[in-house]
Amino acid sequence: MPTQNFLKRKPLSAVLRLLVAVAALSMSIAHADDYADVSRLMRAGQYAEAMTKVDQYLASKPRDPQMRFFKGVIQTETGKTNEAIATFTKITEDYPELPEPYNNMAVLYAGQSQFDKARAALEMAIRTNPSYATAHENLGDVYARLASQAYSKALQLDGGNAAVPPKLALIRNLFSADAKSQPQASAKPAAGAQASGQVTAAAPAAAPAPAPAAKPAPAPAPAVATPAPTPAPTAAPTPTPAAASAGAEKDVEAAVRSWAKAWSDKDMNGYLGSYGQNFDPPGKQARKAWEEDRRARIVGKSKISVVLSNLSISVQGNKATARFKQDYSADSLNITSRKTLDLAKVGDRWVIVKESTGG
Amino acid sequence: MKKALTALFFMAPCLVPLVPALVPTRAEAATKAVARPAPAPPQRAPRDGEAEARLIEIYKLIGQGTPREALRKAESLTRDHPNFQLAQLVYGDLLASFTRPLRAPGDAPEITASKAAAPALAELRQESLLRLRALRERPAPGTVPSQFLALSPRNKHAIAVDASRSRLYLFENTPIGLKLVADYYISVGKSGIEKSVEGDLRTPVGVYFVTSNLDPKSLRDFYGSGALPINYPNQLDVKRGKTGGGIWLHGTPPTQFSRAPLSTDGCVVLANPDLERIIRTVEVRSTPVVIAHSLKWVAPQSLSADSKSFESALQGWHTAKSSGDITRLTAWYTPDFTSYGKTLAEWTPSLQSELKQLGGRDIQLKDVSYLRWTDSADTMVVTFGELVKGAKTGRTKRQYWIRQGSQWKIFFEGAI
Repeated sequence: MPTQNFLKRKPLSAVLRLLVAVAALSMSIAHADDYADVSRLMRAGQYAEAMTKVDQYLASKPRDPQMRFFKGVIQTETGKTNEAIATFTKITEDYPELPEPYNNMAVLYAGQSQFDKARAALEMAIRTNPSYATAHENLGDVYARLASQAYSKALQLDGGNAAVPPKLALIRNLFSADAKSQPQASAKPAAGAQASGQVTAAAPAAAPAPAPAAKPAPAPAPAVATPAPTPAPTAAPTPTPAAASAGAEKDVEAAVRSWAKAWSDKDMNGYLGSYGQNFDPPGKQARKAWEEDRRARIVGKSKISVVLSNLSISVQGNKATARFKQDYSADSLNITSRKTLDLAKVGDRWVIVKESTGG
Repeated sequence: MKKALTALFFMAPCLVPLVPALVPTRAEAATKAVARPAPAPPQRAPRDGEAEARLIEIYKLIGQGTPREALRKAESLTRDHPNFQLAQLVYGDLLASFTRPLRAPGDAPEITASKAAAPALAELRQESLLRLRALRERPAPGTVPSQFLALSPRNKHAIAVDASRSRLYLFENTPIGLKLVADYYISVGKSGIEKSVEGDLRTPVGVYFVTSNLDPKSLRDFYGSGALPINYPNQLDVKRGKTGGGIWLHGTPPTQFSRAPLSTDGCVVLANPDLERIIRTVEVRSTPVVIAHSLKWVAPQSLSADSKSFESALQGWHTAKSSGDITRLTAWYTPDFTSYGKTLAEWTPSLQSELKQLGGRDIQLKDVSYLRWTDSADTMVVTFGELVKGAKTGRTKRQYWIRQGSQWKIFFEGAI
């Protein structure tokens, strides 16, 4: 049942988000073709046609978040920055639980060098969905830029801000899987029935737990404590009963490590080659669009490092799941996150069929 | 939904170990949410010392490992004082710390690499160090700078500058003694202290007094919210042949909240809110300004022995003057005595006519203050009202005394 499936893939989204998703979904069953059409036209760069379709759709369903989101993306792509900002802002007002419109507002603000606004929008996106990787990456870029502005003011340097604004990643599709987390078969689709207030109330209750690991506190010295590099122990070999499966695990681990290495080396062939033919790109992205997105993200960086730790692998026949902590750093950005890769054995190779954050 | 929350739980710690906790933790998000509804405080002029206190709080938050909270405060501080360079520096560091580890305060890679910015960065680090040091190493409670031997009730306030700490201390003279009421970061001359010749870009050291309060409207922006000139060169400086002038306590230009520790042409420069408090507080002519390389803080009681020995010298001069005996009186003056350009020989006749006018009547010394200045010489700056016994009014006089062996002698005397 499509509803079930849809919800299963998004167990981590806040209930509010689910409610919207459910609402959108009821329409999307009927209008999935419209979304697909607009999406296809946009990918083909036929923005005028896409916009016509969007406007037609919105004439009867003016609140539809997905179509309004498309509208914002089209306005962005066609250089109508202020209109796009207005569109995304309006979506955030109607659906404050969606991180994507905040992210895109931030992209637009950053393009105008309004980094404080970009930052505020990204922080909203992250507060809405803490595991939203794109927003994290974008926020890292914005922080770096704000830092350099502050340094220029501190040292009274001129022209420090004249540099080209950073190019942040725009999200093209609402409910894209970028923000999604690891699939959990046991997530109850019934969650959508719960009152939205419950999550907002419940969330702070979870607060005391993630107490930051105490950093060395060098009295009131002005020095910002330099974080000790997180120890990244190489994955402890997972004890396995069967020798055969131990061999398979070794192969899976090798596949995962070579994927990380290709990523670090910006070896696009090796990187994209790690993904199987039937890899499910995040969201409703086409494989090609996803590949282009990855290429733009990776090749543009001057230096990337991907370090895996706490790797745990489980193999079941021709399928395997690898869970690990991923320390990603690129240029001036560091992100630590949990990641889950689902792999499948194709011939004698293990390839990635699904990639998700969290887990 | 339970599952989802557990997952959240599970994930958050993974994000925390690196300083770049890009995710506002739920706890912080919650605090923020609570804090937000509070109405923004009404716009008002910043209080003296407030910006520094906020900066120090940010440093403390960093030290306590709460960079997110520190960042929030740094953002608000830089919004209120965009020209506070040190605040911008720590704000930059905090922002950068969320994207990469920092190696030192002011760790702006592309900027530190540039030679042009290196001196400015070094100055900011020095300013930061000095501000912190002055706050960490406080004078012991109840102690006063050793120069303040005796202040009169007319000296309602006093100022002492410790150049080694880039710090100015403001005192109130209360019936029970001097009370430290505030202290501020200050900047002194580009070439440091011990001014001796005009244009040497140094700040003088010694005992001075505020001589006037210049109308800020008459001043260039460069001087900020006002200026209090002091009487450099004083009589000891004149005796030593020092030159130059126009030494003021003044504020900062619009582009800078505070200036580097060594950055002035010889003036003592304060942040505008701090200077404004001083201008509101001090009294022209009677507020002493002691500027020293480093202040020695002592318990007031420990000064009383020194004070007694000088008091008896002053009493000796007083008795001689009341006696009307010119020979006895002139014995209190040094051979190189001057009074506004007159030598002792040129000045003695006017002293003689003054004695004649007195006609054997006693004189009274009122509101006596003496401030001690000791370097290669041991000197005393004495100010008092001199009036004929029974008279209602008299003249305010100032004397500069110097110790020769165990003998105190006067090397300057004049009405002020």
